[in-house]
Amino acid sequence: MITVPGEVDGHRVRVGCDVVAIEDVQDSLAAFGDRYLRKVFTASEINDCRGSNRVHRLAARFAAKEAVIKAFAQPDMPFPWREIEVTRDGPLPLLRLSGALAERAQDQGWLNSSLSLSHADCHAMAVVLVVCGGSAGGTRDDAQA
Amino acid sequence: MAVDPHEVDDQADLYDLGLTSHASVDVMLALEDAFDIEFPDEVLKKSTFAYLRDGTCGRSLMAST
Repeated sequence: MITVPGEVDGHRVRVGCDVVAIEDVQDSLAAFGDRYLRKVFTASEINDCRGSNRVHRLAARFAAKEAVIKAFAQPDMPFPWREIEVTRDGPLPLLRLSGALAERAQDQGWLNSSLSLSHADCHAMAVVLVVCGGSAGGTRDDAQA
Repeated sequence: MAVDPHEVDDQADLYDLGLTSHASVDVMLALEDAFDIEFPDEVLKKSTFAYLRDGTCGRSLMAST
């Protein structure tokens, strides 16, 4: 038996993932329309999702937000969805945090992240990998575990 | 959730019964519409939507009205 380390080159690594049914996003849009969009997504995200595959893109972004929440590894922390934003650098999705979640990420020592999105006809998914620095965030996390 | 809402115990954990994170958005928006309230950011967490009564959701609604 071995103990698999949770660190790479002295950096803690965290992973979050989520999957969302396309139909659920479609239903929410039908039921709540713009209120749903404005409650969950930033103006930039809403704009990025215009055009073809709009619902699939929105679903992938919701999955990304949930994946980020899981990467925090604090299940009952507040999760204002709009403080987690998916942006783009060309074809690559990027993660941008703001507000209280940005502060929480800083407290946990988040240094860098990588985000991957995908979708099929029925579901969308996201995986986020976060590299954390040093012992400061680790000490806090351990204390709350 | 694939359960009859009339058979859900008010102490049951709705996530155990199949409530998804995305469905909690629908719950939030429906409650906001029904009670003419807005959930503040600080209560947007999993436990807020976990129980029908006597849970965080009930307390949050009371605090918001």
